[in-house]
Amino acid sequence: MRPPPGRQQLSREFITQHQRARIIAALAEETVARGYRAVTVADIVRRAGIARNTFYENFSSKQDCFLATQDYAVQEALRRVVEAATTVESWQERVDAGLAAFLAYVASDPALARTCIVEALSAGPASLARYEESLQSFIPLFRIGRKVSKRGEELPETLEETIVGGIFWVIYQRIIRGETERIERLLPELVEFALTPYIGAEAAKRAVA
Amino acid sequence: MAADPKAPAATEYPPELSRLPPGRHGLPREFVVHNQRERLIAGLAEAVAENGYASTTIAHITRHAAVSRRTFYEHFSSKDECFVCAYETVMEQLRERVAAAYEQQEEWPRAVRAGIAAMLGFLAAEPNLARLSMVEALVAGPVVVERYDAAIRGLVPYLEAGREGRSPEVLERLSPTTEEALVGGIVSLISRRIIAGQTAELEGLLPDLTEFALTPYLGTAEAARVAQNS
Repeated sequence: MRPPPGRQQLSREFITQHQRARIIAALAEETVARGYRAVTVADIVRRAGIARNTFYENFSSKQDCFLATQDYAVQEALRRVVEAATTVESWQERVDAGLAAFLAYVASDPALARTCIVEALSAGPASLARYEESLQSFIPLFRIGRKVSKRGEELPETLEETIVGGIFWVIYQRIIRGETERIERLLPELVEFALTPYIGAEAAKRAVA
Repeated sequence: MAADPKAPAATEYPPELSRLPPGRHGLPREFVVHNQRERLIAGLAEAVAENGYASTTIAHITRHAAVSRRTFYEHFSSKDECFVCAYETVMEQLRERVAAAYEQQEEWPRAVRAGIAAMLGFLAAEPNLARLSMVEALVAGPVVVERYDAAIRGLVPYLEAGREGRSPEVLERLSPTTEEALVGGIVSLISRRIIAGQTAELEGLLPDLTEFALTPYLGTAEAARVAQNS
């Protein structure tokens, strides 16, 4: 007996999502193993255990797949950060909870983290531009701090960009040194770094403690 | 400081000598060789700014440098090698400018401001070299990326020097990653502006970046005061 049409449609959607997730995971693993330039669609297909056609039903090229991987990781990271940040009240706690969720995500998927935070920078101009755009999405979380800060709008216009850039640089350095699994230990230092310009070093230290 | 995009970058020769006339010119061979090398480096920077690193060919480089293909291969074995040499030349100049500006100041906060100003001034005046060193270097392969990382880490000691003479309370607060995060934040903002095509306006970032760099050491009010004082 054929399954009713409704169910079949649901499962098709499920299969497509599942396939995309498998391809993205395979691309990340291959990128870490070989470097972006050396990876071929054949490598990704083999690692994902899917047909070549299936790859091309989902992505037009290796680059398209790489950009989709970056988008996927950023959306997933943002989802986790926002979810964690909304469980607490004050802005200071939100920064702490959001950064904790971000570092936990990085530590939980080292291949994806390396692909999107390290390899993305050298995977060509489109990926680099996508990487820079993705940093922008974390800015609002920090910008709220201007309401808490005594200096508020006097703070440098670019402050949030430099904070996010600094945090990503520290994480980048840890990943290239192979310290991804210990990355969550950075939490207090990074929270303090982010809070200091808004509320001063002493209050930032207290917030972390 | 508006840059003339046609000016051969990274050369200290007077303009009339920077493009040698063809044929016999009676100049010492060493000078010609040196000059050709600099022309190739400037040619590469122009070609990369125009086409991006991946699409740049040796023909592009030799056309911009106005030298023959054979001359290219007398100096470099490949595009990659030429790029690494160009990158090192640019970074050496940038390092020298930053160091000289920093050392001219007596007080550390002003020295940091002067160092940042020198960096922004150099990059704004040389848009092709700015793009080459801060953007294309990342795309040019692992050898250059390693050098890029090392160059950025090379800026850390300038900020670390600010720990000297701080009160024990301040020193206790500063975490081991403070300088790394500050340097990363500064470089990241500069790169983003270059990618966005705003290289000419980089010097406008001086107050923001100075305040950002000094805040952990001096507190926001004092950092802002140094940042605004021109």
